[in-house]
Amino acid sequence: MLFSSVGFLFRFLPIFMIVYLTFPKYRNIVLLAGSLIFYGVGEPYFVLLLLLSVLINYGLSRYMFWEPRSPQVNRKKKSARRRKRALILAIVIDLGVLFVFKYWDFAAGNINRLSGHGLLPLLSLALPLGISFYTFQMLSYQIDCYRGTVKEQAKLLPFATYVCMFPQLIAGPIVRYSDVSGRMAERKVRIRDIENGLKLFTAGLGLKVILANQIGTLWNLIMTAGAGRLHALVAWLGAFAYSFQIYFDFWGYSVMAMGLGKMLGFSIPRNFDIPYVSRSVSEFWRRWHMTLGSWFKEYVYIPLGGSRKGSARTILNLFVVWALTGLWHGADWNFVLWGSAFFLIISLEKKTFGKWLENSKVLGHIYIIVLIPVTWVIFGITDMGQLAGYLGNMAGYHKEEILVGMTQLIRYLKEYGILLIACVIFATPLPGKVYWKWKDRWFMVLFLLLVFWWSVREIISGSNNPFLYFRF
Amino acid sequence: MNKNKMRVCLEILYNCPFVLLVIVTSFLFVLFFDETGILKIDKSIAVFQPINKEDISLFNAETVKKSQNSNEAAEKEKEKDADQAADTDENAGLRKEEKDGIEETNIKKTDIASLEREKNREKEENRATKFVEYAPIETNSRYYSDAGKVALTTAYDYVLENESYFNDAAFLGDSRTLGISDYAGLDGADFFCDNGMTIFKLLEDKGVTYQKTGEKVDLKKVLQEKRYGKIYIMLGMNELGYGNTNMYLKQYLKVLNQLKEWQPEATIYIMANLHVSREKNNMETEFNNININDKNVASARLANGKDIFYLDCNPLFTDEEGYLQGDLTFDGVHLYAQHYEKWRNFLFEHGVEREAETQKEDEKSAAGQLQEDAGYGGDTAE
Repeated sequence: MLFSSVGFLFRFLPIFMIVYLTFPKYRNIVLLAGSLIFYGVGEPYFVLLLLLSVLINYGLSRYMFWEPRSPQVNRKKKSARRRKRALILAIVIDLGVLFVFKYWDFAAGNINRLSGHGLLPLLSLALPLGISFYTFQMLSYQIDCYRGTVKEQAKLLPFATYVCMFPQLIAGPIVRYSDVSGRMAERKVRIRDIENGLKLFTAGLGLKVILANQIGTLWNLIMTAGAGRLHALVAWLGAFAYSFQIYFDFWGYSVMAMGLGKMLGFSIPRNFDIPYVSRSVSEFWRRWHMTLGSWFKEYVYIPLGGSRKGSARTILNLFVVWALTGLWHGADWNFVLWGSAFFLIISLEKKTFGKWLENSKVLGHIYIIVLIPVTWVIFGITDMGQLAGYLGNMAGYHKEEILVGMTQLIRYLKEYGILLIACVIFATPLPGKVYWKWKDRWFMVLFLLLVFWWSVREIISGSNNPFLYFRF
Repeated sequence: MNKNKMRVCLEILYNCPFVLLVIVTSFLFVLFFDETGILKIDKSIAVFQPINKEDISLFNAETVKKSQNSNEAAEKEKEKDADQAADTDENAGLRKEEKDGIEETNIKKTDIASLEREKNREKEENRATKFVEYAPIETNSRYYSDAGKVALTTAYDYVLENESYFNDAAFLGDSRTLGISDYAGLDGADFFCDNGMTIFKLLEDKGVTYQKTGEKVDLKKVLQEKRYGKIYIMLGMNELGYGNTNMYLKQYLKVLNQLKEWQPEATIYIMANLHVSREKNNMETEFNNININDKNVASARLANGKDIFYLDCNPLFTDEEGYLQGDLTFDGVHLYAQHYEKWRNFLFEHGVEREAETQKEDEKSAAGQLQEDAGYGGDTAE
């Protein structure tokens, strides 16, 4: 189920909230059951995989915290060894499942191609919804347990609730157990929380449905014509459209998750901090998908030694982090390329011009505005040939004659001009400031109501008439 | 006590105006519109104008046929063929007369058709469009049903043309036609199309964009003022989730009647809607090739092989299962720009020279037989 669907907005959410508020004593059970229904509607089989993962991880964390009753010699040593064993098992199992579902075909396909024989069979498994997110969430829990950041082992119900809770289950943010552990045992939901949560949710819904979905059709339109035969300006327009789509889509989803979290009595960390106004790529990644960035920093970069072990080691660590970040986003070469590009840029920034850029007033912004759309194009086009064609077009290079030129550009601008301006405005800090300043004022309430119904209209026309969304 | 309760209520009101507003408006929305389908009331029919007599008489046959099972339908089909073969020779002249009469029923409105005439009309129609039948699958949608057959390009002795053929052509359609306009290089033709265009919106005031100027125009006016030799029409994708196939057919007929009235000399091409790719094909929504085919079959029934032709370009771009080939498209719906060349060549190959056609009319049934043979051996996939 998606947040931006009629089923969620008008069936799941109201029924769930009524039950949730009626039985304050059983909030965790209600939340867990609701989340499993939420997930199970779309993934009737993979919900079992999710449950199994939760049970295995719970068992391993119990094993980690287990203290034998009878006094033993070398108790401390044995305990440490056991904890390590449990952690390694957890990492192997969690990443193993993720690997089989997400990366097997990619790895096997490449090995087969390299060897020239069909050494490994392709599985063609469907990717379970949200597996990248909940795997990382469970891993963070296990590592925190091992490190002692989580002092007390979670009971099965709170642990399962923490992993499965529907606001963040399928698209993040990646919540750490310490973010929510305080609210697990008991949580008060005040009327103001529901009010503010719903407002936040509506704002996110608007970002996703009104901005992201609409501007996405422009990218689709340009890609539909086909990469490789685009006028440079059209190619750039497409890159900007896609950059906006991916930002508002993901940001909107994260804001919806925050809003829902608030309605349930949690505080889910925020995931985006106006990334497009950054002045360097390093800064961009501190503001973009913040929970993933901090996950990699906390659990990969710093354990590897971070930047404290000399510059050669720092570069290597950066490489590992960015290769993994690239692969986390998808199993394909373009994601590897995408991650590597960030590795290169960020290493260069760290060693040379990063500080200088961040202190500049204008240059840093221009640098980001030009560079980031290029990286999103690499992210967005999986086919290597097409990707090369598109990037070539952006640079003004054409192998064949231009098919999409000025005529189409003018039409696109006419059709999408207003939307593009809206996207630019919403990429600045202004809308956030306005929202937080006046969110309780009546005009903002009415505006959000308008956003809500406008979004619903878009969703309905999209499902009844798929072509309003896709614009054929 | 009561005062206390009042205060609590007021406090709630004061604290969560947004939640309350959303809840109240949701209730109103569900009660009065129910677009969300929560009450599961199917109002799709009521949205449109009531069906008038003429339409019913025209499409009765269709509904009757659909309600019978496929076996019976096949048998009926056979009988009809035999019937037709028997009376072609005997009543050729009479039939010709009748045909003209039927043409009128088709094109202009007339009195309520008798059953007899209905039957003949269907025969006429079957002569124009050939169908390949298959066992239909069960569908459970308010938008469509499985037609159980695929319409083939109208059998005809098409001539190979060049670009000048399109100098007096008009194209009416949705985003796929926009693609033809942009990338097929038919610069002489006039394109009237928009993203999201439907057969229902086509003739609205200022309803469609004239691609040469980029301005919205009133197609009614344009078609009454300018003479076109050929009119290509391809619509049906944006109708997949709107009304149902019968409504689509009715509206299509209405539009064709209008076109014939304004452009009596024009050759009208009904172009099949291109199928979608396997990835895009979704049986759980109305967005699938069964539905597209249902729409195509419906519109193909309106071709008469005289001045209205049905062109099926799907065999050019689809695989053996009827899906649009994945490597020809980014979104599973639209062709990449470079593949429109193929489509253009297809249009070149399907030129109709009307003088030749009138001659053939005089050759009566023998020619008709030939046409039929050509139809089965034609360039369409079976």
